Amino acid sequence: MHDDDLMDQLLRDTMAARPPQLSPEFDARVMRRVRPRRLTPAGRWLIAGYVVVASAAAAWLMRDVPVSAIVAALAISVPIAVGVGAYGRRIALGD
Amino acid sequence: MGAEQPPYAEQADERLVDRCREAVDEAAFAELVRRYRGPVFRLAVSILGQEFAPEAEDVAQDVMVRMHRALGSFRGEAKFGSWIYRIAFNHALNVKARVRYRAPHVSDEALATTPSSDRSPEDQLQDARRQRAVQECIAELPEVYQSALRLHYWLGTSMSEIAAMLDAPENTVKSYLHRARQLLRAMLAERGFDAR
Repeated sequence: MHDDDLMDQLLRDTMAARPPQLSPEFDARVMRRVRPRRLTPAGRWLIAGYVVVASAAAAWLMRDVPVSAIVAALAISVPIAVGVGAYGRRIALGD
Repeated sequence: MGAEQPPYAEQADERLVDRCREAVDEAAFAELVRRYRGPVFRLAVSILGQEFAPEAEDVAQDVMVRMHRALGSFRGEAKFGSWIYRIAFNHALNVKARVRYRAPHVSDEALATTPSSDRSPEDQLQDARRQRAVQECIAELPEVYQSALRLHYWLGTSMSEIAAMLDAPENTVKSYLHRARQLLRAMLAERGFDAR
């Protein structure tokens, strides 16, 4: 037997295991990951309620704070919040 | 009324991509997933190795999600298949770099042929050692050789499909396999094994 044929046979013997199969839920999992996630009506109300209450509480707590300090605080905290949100989304999507 | 569309299964990849982009057509995307999930999984498992099949499934899933998000940037300069195989190849290599030191799910020995009862225990032991040495030598080959070997010998993929997955002409794939066998023979000889 030629050397190349022997090597060929050895490789066939070494890799004789049954090839793995994709799990049957593969398609469903992919479709779940690509579908846009929408909040339920209850979730939307909850978020809206939080925004209203948090804004009112923040306005009341900061009533004596100078406007320049509020602007500075927003300039620092908003970019950080946007960055953390984007990073969290990337992790959740598996990038 | 517009012209009637052929069923999704009969439409070209590029047409399905257009449908996904223009109308966010979930059925068109599902058809692309159905077409490419198997080849992408095989390509991933050929890179990660026999013992990391669950990670290969994760890679295939990530590739499908990335495909969905990147469809807008697909310009059609390359074939859709080449584009998605390139994403899969690169992602599988990244995952391999992360998992290579992790304990495998299945040992190499469990993946080789089961010992035949008509051979003596010494011969069976020698076969097992040789097969283990082959597995170790394969892991030292360049990535593209490893992938071509596993696709051909283990996963039974056709030459034309391997060529598409590795984005190389069929003759180049044949030369990868020939060169890989030559290298393996030399590496086995260094370890005191022959192919017999």
